[in-house]
Amino acid sequence: LRSENLIEETSDIEDLLKEEEDYKEENNPSTETSGALKWKEDLSRKAAEAFLRQQQAAPNLRKLIYGTVTEDDGDDDGDAQEELGGLFRVRQPDGGCKHKADAMDCSRFPVEAPHDWDLEEVMNSIRDCFVTGKWEEDKDAAKILAEDDE
Amino acid sequence: MATQTHSLSYAGCNFLRQRLVLSTLSGRPVKIRKIRARDDNPGLRDFEASFIRLLDKITNGSRIEINQTGTTLYYQPGLLYGGPVEHDCSVLRSIGYYLEGLLCLAPFMKHPLKIVLRGVTNDQIDPSVDVLKATALPLLKQFGIDGESFELKIVRRGMPPGGGGEVFFSCPVRKVLKPIQLTDPGKIKRIRGMAYSVRVSPQMANRIVDSARSILNKFIPDIYIYTDHMKGVNSGKSPGFGLSLVAETTNGTFLSAELASNPQGQGTAVLPEDLGRNCARLLLEEIHRGGCVDSTNQSLALLLMTLGQQDVSKVLLGPISPYTIEFLRHLKSFFQIMFKIETKPCGEELKGGDKVLMTCVGIGFSNLSKTLK
Repeated sequence: LRSENLIEETSDIEDLLKEEEDYKEENNPSTETSGALKWKEDLSRKAAEAFLRQQQAAPNLRKLIYGTVTEDDGDDDGDAQEELGGLFRVRQPDGGCKHKADAMDCSRFPVEAPHDWDLEEVMNSIRDCFVTGKWEEDKDAAKILAEDDE
Repeated sequence: MATQTHSLSYAGCNFLRQRLVLSTLSGRPVKIRKIRARDDNPGLRDFEASFIRLLDKITNGSRIEINQTGTTLYYQPGLLYGGPVEHDCSVLRSIGYYLEGLLCLAPFMKHPLKIVLRGVTNDQIDPSVDVLKATALPLLKQFGIDGESFELKIVRRGMPPGGGGEVFFSCPVRKVLKPIQLTDPGKIKRIRGMAYSVRVSPQMANRIVDSARSILNKFIPDIYIYTDHMKGVNSGKSPGFGLSLVAETTNGTFLSAELASNPQGQGTAVLPEDLGRNCARLLLEEIHRGGCVDSTNQSLALLLMTLGQQDVSKVLLGPISPYTIEFLRHLKSFFQIMFKIETKPCGEELKGGDKVLMTCVGIGFSNLSKTLK
């Protein structure tokens, strides 16, 4: 039976997605298996919900860079501009955004909060970036250094 | 190019270069409005106009329209042509400003680019030619852009405000780029540097070297800082001095830092000892940020990953700079590419701050204008 087939393969997500089309066809004849397949209902909707949850939770870099995929904020900024007497428009001070648009075009990334490199603990924080620091156990320091010698 | 794609629209003069570069590579026209529209002196500046002229020189069939006040720019890119070019850069920005754009475009020319750039080689704003030579060129090599003709040479050094420097850059063309997997920066095995001085006492460079070494020697013994004192016509029109430092790792990562003296007639005089020490500290900051690509070349690496073959590319970066953040947004709008971004906390290891792992699948960009031999 096809339905048994389906249950066997539930662990494999990719197969599951392929079978999804078939699932529609045999929905009506095999009513007795509906209990077993219940978890499969609205799979795409559940996936979408889980994705949105993930997007909204924990402010991450992706959100900072690309913004949320959900786009809750809408585009109603356009008609939010108030008009005074049908002639003048109230300027929305954009603050930082405006400033950024005309800022200097430079790829340098200036250090905002410099460390005090005279302190022993600060110096120690990058100790292992150097060959003189501690090596990972899976890497043989002497061997790599020998290879690198020109 | 051939397809009639509608143009992308932006406001403001910031990120002008990346918009024009991405427009040229993708073939999508851009319109940039409100360029310093509320400034007392509105419109494009000399150095921006010079960059647009440079783009016009290396392409064929570009259409550039600028309105009378210079506040609106429309750019319809042509085909990248290359070949031998000469360009006088504005002295308001250093040659690094122009080179950064060229590094993105040069591998995709019809003919290999051989360009002479004149202007300021080292200033306090942009990455200097020395730093780009030591960091961006090895990065391009990771993508398979290599060969005898791959060269960046400082013929004459020029400091602001006068300039008078000269740089020669030649880059081979490639049809496709190799995907990269740079996830382990390795460990720093040596530090190299260049202390330069022009139209001041050559002793300045030696004083810089001593002070920089005094800080870096606490971390690693293998340090060598070259001194470079160009004379006569090779020393440009203005006096100045500076230092660039590069840390090289066992896996071929180059992290850089640099400082230059104040331009003649601006600000107070800088002591070479202070400059050397501060530059060494900046290098330590860069090492603390870490990653497989240094902070000035982040966007170049991400661009070449995007344009690579249709395969997965990975790179480990330090904190992402604001410039790169905007670049990622632009990559999304020009090429519909979004990166997978994973934060890698530093944990117990003594390897500086948190890192970010960037992953993407290349769009399989291929250089169709490259001539077959």
